[in-house]
Amino acid sequence: MQAEFRAPRRRNRVQEDFEASLPVSHSSRKRAQLRAELINQHVLVCRPEDIQKIYSQGYFGKGILSKARPDHSISDQWEYHEGLLFPVISSSSYRELLQWARAFLSAQGWDNEAISQMMTNLSRPVQIEDVKKEVDGECPVVEGGVGPFTKRPRSEVNPKAKRSCSQSSHLDRDLDPELDHDRVSRTANSDPDSEHVVSGAGFVLVVFEEEVRELRRIPVPVTEYLQLSLEEAFFLVYGLGCLSVCLNQEPLSILQLWKTFRAQRPDFVCSYAAYHYFRCKGWVPKGGGGAKYGVDFMLYRKGPPFYHASYSVVVQPVNSEYKGTGTRPFTWRSLAALNRITTNVSKELLFCYVVFPANLSDAELESPQCLSRLKVQEVIVSRWISSRERAEQDDI
Amino acid sequence: MAQQNKLDAGGMVYSEILSPSELFAARSRSHKIPIKGQKNFFPDDSDEQQKQLEQSLNEHCSLLSEERGKGCNGTLVKATWISSKQVVELQSLSGKFWQTMGFSAEGKRYLLPEEALYLMECGSLQVFYEDLALSIQDAYEIFLSSETVSLHQYQVFGHLKRLGYVVHRFDPSSLPSRYAQQLNLPQSGKNAGNQLKRKHDVSLTSTSAPSLSKTLVPTTDTMSADEHMKDESVDESVAMTSSESTADESSTTDSAVMVEPRKWWTSDIIEDKGSNHRNCSRSGWDFSSILFPDLGSKENLSGSLASPDPSLLPGALAVGVCDVASWRSKINQRKVKGSPEHRRRGVDNQRQGWHGKKDEEVQSCKNWTEFNDLMARHQHRRQDEQAEHLWNREVTPLHDPSQPLPTRELLDICSVIKPTCLLEGASRLKPAHEWRISFVVYQPDTASEFKKSKPRKPYTHVCVCGFDGPVPELQTVKLLTSQSGDVPVVFAVVDHGDVSFYTMKDFELPTDVFL
Repeated sequence: MQAEFRAPRRRNRVQEDFEASLPVSHSSRKRAQLRAELINQHVLVCRPEDIQKIYSQGYFGKGILSKARPDHSISDQWEYHEGLLFPVISSSSYRELLQWARAFLSAQGWDNEAISQMMTNLSRPVQIEDVKKEVDGECPVVEGGVGPFTKRPRSEVNPKAKRSCSQSSHLDRDLDPELDHDRVSRTANSDPDSEHVVSGAGFVLVVFEEEVRELRRIPVPVTEYLQLSLEEAFFLVYGLGCLSVCLNQEPLSILQLWKTFRAQRPDFVCSYAAYHYFRCKGWVPKGGGGAKYGVDFMLYRKGPPFYHASYSVVVQPVNSEYKGTGTRPFTWRSLAALNRITTNVSKELLFCYVVFPANLSDAELESPQCLSRLKVQEVIVSRWISSRERAEQDDI
Repeated sequence: MAQQNKLDAGGMVYSEILSPSELFAARSRSHKIPIKGQKNFFPDDSDEQQKQLEQSLNEHCSLLSEERGKGCNGTLVKATWISSKQVVELQSLSGKFWQTMGFSAEGKRYLLPEEALYLMECGSLQVFYEDLALSIQDAYEIFLSSETVSLHQYQVFGHLKRLGYVVHRFDPSSLPSRYAQQLNLPQSGKNAGNQLKRKHDVSLTSTSAPSLSKTLVPTTDTMSADEHMKDESVDESVAMTSSESTADESSTTDSAVMVEPRKWWTSDIIEDKGSNHRNCSRSGWDFSSILFPDLGSKENLSGSLASPDPSLLPGALAVGVCDVASWRSKINQRKVKGSPEHRRRGVDNQRQGWHGKKDEEVQSCKNWTEFNDLMARHQHRRQDEQAEHLWNREVTPLHDPSQPLPTRELLDICSVIKPTCLLEGASRLKPAHEWRISFVVYQPDTASEFKKSKPRKPYTHVCVCGFDGPVPELQTVKLLTSQSGDVPVVFAVVDHGDVSFYTMKDFELPTDVFL
């Protein structure tokens, strides 16, 4: 007997607009590629416009400095200062940023004298005229602390879009400096028509004692990347053909990517099969459920901002005799605990068994084309309350 | 509990039969359980607290020292244990329990050992073996063995019976064979007049299916000029898809099977589930070919809707051409939040795109033809720059972005992994001994009488396992589901007398497409 499908619960306040289910365009015929880097066994998307597209259309990935949506900004408070909008930070945060800048410079090999000189330059008070000159002029502006989604007051914040090259003082030094020059970072809210209200990019208001605010340059601009899990990255590459993953500036082919991911995680085939299956049903699987709910991923309808997650999914591989391989054995105790947790957060526990046929050879596993030979069995596990009152309302 | 026929170590002999005054006292005892009051967290050396504690302790002591009398509630039925057949034969007239328990054979009435033990614990049965009355302890030892039922199974049996369910032993031969299921024969034992109404009966009967389709097809009536209208109507149509498909399947199978004249409100769940087993696919209607009119799109639609296909409508309903021009003028009036930003971004891209970069080249073009050639060259160069590494190797992506497709077809192309159902491949699995269905459970129904010879449709099947044992694997779940026919299977997990129940049901996530 089949389990019945319960409609997903909508969130109370939905603040986002739905753009698209997947980051592929329905009209253009270009093979525009989104680009990601494989750095230290993580897949990172660095270009802000790619970040924006990948996250908004399909909710892939997670910002590395944010909870989910990459909307890190250097401060939550923004204030007007002589007509321009600046983020406000405390003096202790400012000092911390200065220390980072100093550490970075010393790691680059400068001697102490040069460092102190640079630090004094960096931390001198900035006049508002300098800011305006930089913002309006043609010279490249330090584009720091502002990303495509940066939280800002909702009203008239429209910095002019500039083609800028960001400072090479990135936290991640593995990036090739070439990349910085190529990158055209534009902020999402760009309005060439607006005249006056411009955000001072790269500058910040520091609160010294007793409400005195001084304008300073941001010592270390921090830009945020989008981190994709292995399954998400592979789906974008193999399923949709819209992303290319590069390792040391070399784009990887599908087979190479498959091999790399399989080497990194031995159960990649199984977890990717489940991810691919749920994505092709139009649902959004988000990882990270492990730390919160003890399962492999959560299934959202349409996306996390719109609905609460409907299912907690546990993925288990089984062979052709439908016996598990014992990688994640359950006892009744752990199953009962997991069931309780899932019920408490109003979700349903879904076991996703990936069936591997008997005659699947290792050679076939080397290519993602083996996916078509796998099958997926979904089972809903729930607790039945036997007391009489429950039985009359609630069928099994 | 104190046994009435045991000698105390101190030599006192309890009388077996209660005197009339003792019987009266036993029958008129208060049945209330001592109420627990507010919790005292620390002793405060007050007299009141002392009194309260003493009082509750006394109540507990008196409760525990009550002797349970057999037969205090009515007649005490006598029976004997037949060890050769492992059953209990009734000697005196049976009480009310005969309605749901026991069986007749060769003119005599028998009880199964677990039923007898349950009745002994209730105090309404007394079993003799070789002219000696059995104690509860003896009964536990004798009645529960590997040939009858195990202790775990008895605990589950007792738990369910105390809640009021009717529990019988499972007999695999009572299920219809696969052949009979395929033919959708009605069950010979079913009681057509007294089907238990279940919650989802409503959605599965044939009359509700036309009402669902009636609300979906002429969607113009329910359209509202709302900013999220298009989204919501797509939402609803998608959400209805899954429930509609099950409803439609039942309607098609119901019309196909007409073995005996049946009233529609007693339509059997068995037939629907039988066809469910036969083919694991679910939809009776092909929704990819039935087009729902999209009034919210900005493309030019005619101002009127043609009448829908008569095969989609129920019965004698006829829908004419619908004029939707007035509706279409009312929609899409509010700007969607965020669209100015989109527009701005688009404009900005055009203004400050790479046109700005190649200022010199653009300025060197003297007329539009040259400009167009320049654009074309840039386009090609850009395409060459795109990583061709994905498309010039052995394994290519499943979808080529240069061939844009609507989302639904895109998902269809990418669905290389197929779902499977629990019954698939279950026939070739070998049944194991430790995992088998022990009991059949029927709902207690006070409205009508339960007939043992023609029981109702079972509510569930129970498979008993111990809490310290392993969790059933997919293999076991498949096996039990196939053995159990269309009745759900519940796993009863026994942990030192506490029983909890878990179900593992087949499921298929519905496809969900927006835009």
